[in-house]
Amino acid sequence: MADKDSFIHLARPLPVAPVSSAYQGAITTAPLNVVVHPQALFSILDHSLRRNTDQERVIGTLLGVRSEDGTDVEIRNCFAVGHNESQEQVEVDMDYHKTMLSLHLKANPREVLVGWYATSPVLNTFSALIQNFYASAETGTFPHPAVHLTLSTQPGQDIEVRTYISSPVGLTPDRAADSCLFLPVPHEIRYSDAEKSGLETIASAKNDPSRTAAAMNDVHALEKAVSDVLDMLDRVFVYVNGIIGALNEAEDDPATTAPAVVIAKSPATTAIGKFLLNTLSLAPKVSAEEVERMFNTHIQDVLLVSYLANTIRTQIDLGNRLAGVTFPTTGEDKGELEEGVREGGDGGRGGRGGRGGRGGRGRGRGRREPIDF
Amino acid sequence: MANNKTAPPALEAPLVPLKGVRVDALVALKIIKHASGAFPSIVTGQLLGMEVEGVIEITHSFPFPAVEQTPTNDFGDNNASNTAILAPRSKSNAWYQSEMMKCLREINVDSNVMGWYQSTNLGNFVTKELVENQYYYQSSTQLNERTVALVYDAARSTQGALSIRSFRLTPQLMNAMKDGKFTTESLQKYSLTYKELFQELPVTIHNSHLVNSLLHQLSSSPSTLPSFTSSLRQSTLPPPLFPNYDSLDLSIDPFLEKNCDLLLDSIETHYTELNNAQYYQRQLAREHAKITAWQQKRKAENISRAALKQPPLPEDEWQKLFKLPQEPSRLEALLNSRQIEQYAKQVDGFTAAVTAKMFAVNGGLAKIE
Repeated sequence: MADKDSFIHLARPLPVAPVSSAYQGAITTAPLNVVVHPQALFSILDHSLRRNTDQERVIGTLLGVRSEDGTDVEIRNCFAVGHNESQEQVEVDMDYHKTMLSLHLKANPREVLVGWYATSPVLNTFSALIQNFYASAETGTFPHPAVHLTLSTQPGQDIEVRTYISSPVGLTPDRAADSCLFLPVPHEIRYSDAEKSGLETIASAKNDPSRTAAAMNDVHALEKAVSDVLDMLDRVFVYVNGIIGALNEAEDDPATTAPAVVIAKSPATTAIGKFLLNTLSLAPKVSAEEVERMFNTHIQDVLLVSYLANTIRTQIDLGNRLAGVTFPTTGEDKGELEEGVREGGDGGRGGRGGRGGRGGRGRGRGRREPIDF
Repeated sequence: MANNKTAPPALEAPLVPLKGVRVDALVALKIIKHASGAFPSIVTGQLLGMEVEGVIEITHSFPFPAVEQTPTNDFGDNNASNTAILAPRSKSNAWYQSEMMKCLREINVDSNVMGWYQSTNLGNFVTKELVENQYYYQSSTQLNERTVALVYDAARSTQGALSIRSFRLTPQLMNAMKDGKFTTESLQKYSLTYKELFQELPVTIHNSHLVNSLLHQLSSSPSTLPSFTSSLRQSTLPPPLFPNYDSLDLSIDPFLEKNCDLLLDSIETHYTELNNAQYYQRQLAREHAKITAWQQKRKAENISRAALKQPPLPEDEWQKLFKLPQEPSRLEALLNSRQIEQYAKQVDGFTAAVTAKMFAVNGGLAKIE
């Protein structure tokens, strides 16, 4: 991914146009950090799948939040914008962009325009044109820099995410309007806690040939988590054993020229060793009685709540059954049937006799069932 | 827009029964983001997609903006928290929906409405609003009848497993909703019980190929081994997406406490409903007593009139004189029962997992005597 590229990000360029004093505080040359949320990436990928067959790349608008000093940008959302590209010219559907932007802002009032994306890693003249549009004062992010995110979706190659901001170049206003210098900025893919469980399910489908996964229930999720932990413990075990075995062998036979690390499948690292040691020492030492006591009180709480919940459920179920029951009376019409029940149940009609009983059962007394039946 | 009561019932016949709901990864994330952004208030949105051989494929979604209070809607007890849930049916939102769909169609998104989604906390989604919204979707002739309501449980999803469920109203409930009354008689007529309010469809999450390859790249392990212990702790790499160890969390009390609160609330509602019913019952008995008294009086009068050779007075005039009280709607009670069942099942599922965890911890801790 993009972090393979090495670049150093010292300071970002200042906007060329004079900035009104109201915005003065927002202008810094501090480096920009870009955080990308997976939802935005997924959206871009989806858009890329839905492009017209003759289109090389598709573009869209990035939405998100910007920290107060403007040094952190979080890309949270995005929407696609139609555009046409030919050898000579590029056409972006600006009206569409404006409509969608206002629609999106209506539903997500906290998000702002932060930039745009394209689904090809290529930066060309058209990119510069579009970038200047998004960074301009009237329609774009000015005085903040517009973030340009490229996501390569070439088949057979890695999906690469890169983020850029731009610096104006060109001596004449004409040249400056259709050119700019893209500066790479670092980015980070981050997800929130709320998305974790969703991403887990999504990620669990990645090794499935049908690319689908069913939503799990609590017990299955637990089972999965436990078996995964066991797997990882096994892996660590094999790793440590491998290293120890290799070391022993090297000691037994000092004549071997091969260093221990070669015999072990993975190289020994002191960092990992120390880390494992630290983790192991975190295991708490507790007194047996204390644990027993805590365990018992908690398990009793849990079981009691579960028992009560189930009792309530049964009561409700019973109540509803009684409420909906048709009382067996021989060959009479409905009115008479109800009449008969009215005498049986204390003063109410059939259905309601059952209902009356439900409350009693809700309290756990169940005093009315014997009257109905 | 109108709830068309004469929707052609024959339309359903040649179609295959719905087998399940397939949600795109993108849609799942969109819903999660929307719901967590507004947590703990409830959000709603539209689902787009298509139906393929009985499976509803949801490929896109967009959130509804929270609606402003409109005086036209017929619930008197609206407060700020449930404005969002009214969004699917509100008039101001219709414009938003059609605009959004028009825009999405331009970029080749499947623009068929396949339903709507709603967020919830700890399963308290069984409300009148849900039923009415879904009824609106399922009965409307403009929209597709085969639509689902997706319910995303924000509070439960942060505890471990993702909780997205899909619901449809059963034909029984649809019929009863068409009649618009929920009396004992109509419940018996449609054999509607609280268990037959909703039909749940299995939900699966589906990834596109591109998403799949992105996921594979995200979780590929780092190529270099760390050289310092501190670098392991301050790792800038995102933690792996899968698996997620939230489900190993041992905090029991908050969940159970909240669940008990909700359960108690439901029982409270149950009592209110019950009191209403009992009040009605007494009222009815009183009216019946009055009618009987009147009838006897009239009969006696008629006998005396017959003795005097006068024409008898009509005996069915009581229908005009006395008005029987209206039976309260049973829908609320039914929904409440269903809600209680939902809570109870939730507690059940949670206990199953938590007892296992607790025994494991108890057995696995190193103890000193």
